[in-house]
Amino acid sequence: MIILFVVLPLVVAGLLPLAGKASKRLLPDLLANATLLFLVAYAAVAGRALIADGPVLQQTTWLGEALGIRLVLDGFSLFMLVVVALVGLAASLFSIDYMEHYGAKGNFYALYLVMIAGMNGLVLASDLFAVYVFLEVAAVASYALVAYGLGRDELEAAFKYLMLSVVASAFLVGGIAVVYGMTGGLDFAAVAMALKELNAGPALAVASALFLLGFGLKAALIPFHAWLPDAHPSAPAPISAVLSGLLIKVSGVYALTRVFLNVFGLTPALSTVLLWLGAVSAVAAAFLALGQKDIKRMLAYSSISQVGYVVLAIGVGTPLGIAGGLFHLFNHALAKGLLFLTSGSVQRATGTRDLDAMGGLAKRMPVTAATNLVGALSIAGVPPLNGFWSKLIIIVALVQAGHPVFAAVAVLASVLTLWYYLLMQRKAFFGRLNETWAAVREAPFWMTASTVLLALLCVGIGILFASTVTTWVRPAADVLADGIHAVAGSWGF
Amino acid sequence: MTPKMLLLPVLLPAVLAVALLLLPRALRLVRDALAVAGAGVLLYYGFLFFSVKDLRYAVPWLGMGIDFDLRLYHFSSFILLALAGFLFLIAVYATVKMKDAPRGREFMAYVFLTAAFANGAALANNFVPLVFFWEGLLVTLYGMIAIGGRPTSGRTAVKALLIAGFCDFSLILGVGLLWSVAGTATMSEIAVEPTGLAAAAFVLMMIGAAGKAGAMPFHTWIPDAAVDAPVTFMAFLPAAFEKLLGIYLLARVSLDFFKLRPGGAMSVLLMIVGAATIVLAVLMALVQKDLKRLLSYHAVSQVGYMILGIGTAVPVGIAGGVFHMINHAMYKSGLFLSAGSVEHRAGTTELKKLGGLRRDMPLTALGFVVCALAISGVWPLNGFVSKEMVFHGALETGYTVFAVAAWIGAIFTFASFLKAGHSVFFGERTTDVPEVKESPAAIVLPILVLAALCVLFGVYNKLPLDRLITPVVAPHAEAGAHLDFTGHALDLFNVVALISVGCLVLAFLIHRHGFLKGGRKAYLASEPFHGLPGIRQAYDLAEKRVFDPYEQGVKALQGLSLALYKAVDRPIDFVFEKAVTAAGEKFTGILKKAHNGHYANYLAWCLAGLVILAGAIGLLAK
Repeated sequence: MIILFVVLPLVVAGLLPLAGKASKRLLPDLLANATLLFLVAYAAVAGRALIADGPVLQQTTWLGEALGIRLVLDGFSLFMLVVVALVGLAASLFSIDYMEHYGAKGNFYALYLVMIAGMNGLVLASDLFAVYVFLEVAAVASYALVAYGLGRDELEAAFKYLMLSVVASAFLVGGIAVVYGMTGGLDFAAVAMALKELNAGPALAVASALFLLGFGLKAALIPFHAWLPDAHPSAPAPISAVLSGLLIKVSGVYALTRVFLNVFGLTPALSTVLLWLGAVSAVAAAFLALGQKDIKRMLAYSSISQVGYVVLAIGVGTPLGIAGGLFHLFNHALAKGLLFLTSGSVQRATGTRDLDAMGGLAKRMPVTAATNLVGALSIAGVPPLNGFWSKLIIIVALVQAGHPVFAAVAVLASVLTLWYYLLMQRKAFFGRLNETWAAVREAPFWMTASTVLLALLCVGIGILFASTVTTWVRPAADVLADGIHAVAGSWGF
Repeated sequence: MTPKMLLLPVLLPAVLAVALLLLPRALRLVRDALAVAGAGVLLYYGFLFFSVKDLRYAVPWLGMGIDFDLRLYHFSSFILLALAGFLFLIAVYATVKMKDAPRGREFMAYVFLTAAFANGAALANNFVPLVFFWEGLLVTLYGMIAIGGRPTSGRTAVKALLIAGFCDFSLILGVGLLWSVAGTATMSEIAVEPTGLAAAAFVLMMIGAAGKAGAMPFHTWIPDAAVDAPVTFMAFLPAAFEKLLGIYLLARVSLDFFKLRPGGAMSVLLMIVGAATIVLAVLMALVQKDLKRLLSYHAVSQVGYMILGIGTAVPVGIAGGVFHMINHAMYKSGLFLSAGSVEHRAGTTELKKLGGLRRDMPLTALGFVVCALAISGVWPLNGFVSKEMVFHGALETGYTVFAVAAWIGAIFTFASFLKAGHSVFFGERTTDVPEVKESPAAIVLPILVLAALCVLFGVYNKLPLDRLITPVVAPHAEAGAHLDFTGHALDLFNVVALISVGCLVLAFLIHRHGFLKGGRKAYLASEPFHGLPGIRQAYDLAEKRVFDPYEQGVKALQGLSLALYKAVDRPIDFVFEKAVTAAGEKFTGILKKAHNGHYANYLAWCLAGLVILAGAIGLLAK
């Protein structure tokens, strides 16, 4: 019943606008959060039992007729499902209080669940066209969510986001067309098998470049990143958290990794390109984050930098590097989600995102300040938080694979990360309380509760990192390390 | 009595400490009753354990030969009993003396926590539990000084912590070395020759043990604490508990773990430390103007006799050293408690302001006089017996110089106590102190008990020597050696005893000379000696703490850190502050300029990226 991951949120999304008519707050809050809670439980508890004997395949049918949509759940997809469900739940808990003053909660949750359904579908897809379709489902929902506030900035950001995403989609379709032309199939297994037989040099290079542009733009890798610092900060905070924490990873990193490692197979050329893309993104975006005055823009650039980190690690191609990259993806999803949520708490309390206007907020919002500190230190890679371990694994993997220069670059990016996060802490939370905010109060219950939940996860995973890696990350990394054999061998229908 | 019972002396006081800390201020009576009753139970078990004498409780703990191993045998049961006895007296005393102290509740809790750690350290038969308990004492030492309530209490607490911490660090290093030399951490199985690496281990462990007992040069926090910490603390830790534990460990180190030989290098080293401590500390004590400070220097000086005695490595010397340990704990505790009693009523312990208190506080005066005579080694009190044994031991080794040092110490000890007793209890009443009454029973009783014990252990010295001391020394003497130390215990008519008596007479003459010269003012009795050329300058330097290794070390470190700050830290900071930040900001500025918000720009980057990537992949694939 893995189709439930897609169908359940879609169905609930359909019901939500109606529920919103019946009850302004309670029913939408309850429905949306219950759905996500169920997804967390299903993925985290039942998921591992499902894939105990290898990948689970599901052929969808309509009135007894087989459809062209096939879903597959393996270690990598399950890992992503858990990440999506966890961060999705935290953000939707946060929305209970945060979305109060935006109105029309039913509609908001409907769009939100469509985005979740799109991401889940993408993760479970087993052919290139399904990847494209679900990617668009999630993207269209996200355009609307970025513009949800309907202010001038929001609309401009959403438009810019839409226009660049459309370019990405167009090139993706182009890439899919080239692959279809070469192999005559779209199924991962069929394409992987055919490409192995076929010795397609320049055509494959063009297809790879097209996919890289498409997925790289979704993942906001430099130089395809420029939309993100506009789009993410403009969205409501829980949406920023999900866009930065999840969407760029699912429709960017996951899709890219799945296609390049499991379908095309990681050639040395691709590996080199990924390493460079990742390294440039990690460092340049870190410098850009350093120069920001807007707390959410700083976080947005930080997302680019950290995605670069993940791509750098996956580009190494060794099992350890892949594991480190996926672990970092997981940790970054939690920590960046946490940071965007706390920035939402701050924005809601003070009405500003300008770091220079803040100061000493820790005295008025101790829980928010503490959870924000946990998230910042986690991403910056301070032991014993989770981010430290994933960065450590990545750097060790880089050195082991014979890339000492890239390892040094990774350390440099880490130092820069610590730099701008400490800057953020100092300007926003530490120091003397800015008198303007003397009357500011701590965020309401659900907002603090969801940030505390994520902060506890950051600390807990940091302490129990070994068991997290073996339970969740290792199975996912194994799938990727298997290369094209992972899909070619067992995904045949 | 099961082996598990050995956990009681450790766990009971620890539990009591927590309970005492949690009991609210309003229930002070309950707290005091609980403390006294708990100490009473421990004392009862102290006697019980002393009668059992042989018990071992060992459970595997951390692996690698680290077991939680407690062993009761004659020496540790002796120490356990003594610790329990002092704990009981201090608990009774503190119920009155610490009643109005601002943080009396914490003090009581610390006292019992100290007892828990001390009992554990005395029982430990494995180095790791030993070090664990030993380090626990560091915490309570700091805590009890820090709650002294004077402006400099915190500073003195840090000083004590650092000095004791240094000694403990040496101990740990020594333990590590000895562990690797001996191959086991079980204390009862270790016996090595002090040569080579083992000699280094011996010296390090000796520093740890002697430092705990307060030997020079690790004593400098004690006179400071005398002023800054509650006087009950002085009677409890530096006078009693630390001496018992330090000398216990020193005896274990020099008798059990290492085979000390009379006349060997290690033996001479110990004797030098002991003799230097005796003479230098007593000279400092002589000129003190405050009763508590005077007593604190004697607490240092007397350690010298114990170390000297153990260092002789001959049976009579060792027995004298260990006997002096228990004697000293009794009379020095009694002296500090008397000083506390005076402070309790008169509100000061400055010699100049006191005088003639014998009529107002006859019982305190009696206790003080007995203890003062005992510490001075006056016949027939316990101090006389143990000092005689140390003199005999020192002479037996052939190094007469150490015996002479010990006699010099005896002269000035008596002189300074003549001065102190004369100033406080005899002579004329001063106008600084109004009419005072005798202290309440809970203060006076512990003093009198200790004074009575001093008399008992002196007159009937057979009891402690046969029951307590001989079993400790017996395993280390050659087979068939004559081990009756009571033979010349109170014998006045031999050369050694006559010289000692001569020293006392000399001390009396010195005091009388100073008393008359100072215009019949007892507190000026040491001035003639103080005024001798050269001596005054030396004292002035000592008062400025020129000879205090801690203060000098702190000064040196401050200089060093200033130099490092100026020469290393600032330049590095400049590089980061100016060069790195400036470069980072410049680069950030360039990147930010490129992000101008123009859609066309961003699209162009994407397309350029596409072309570059396609080209790169194509080229690399070839």
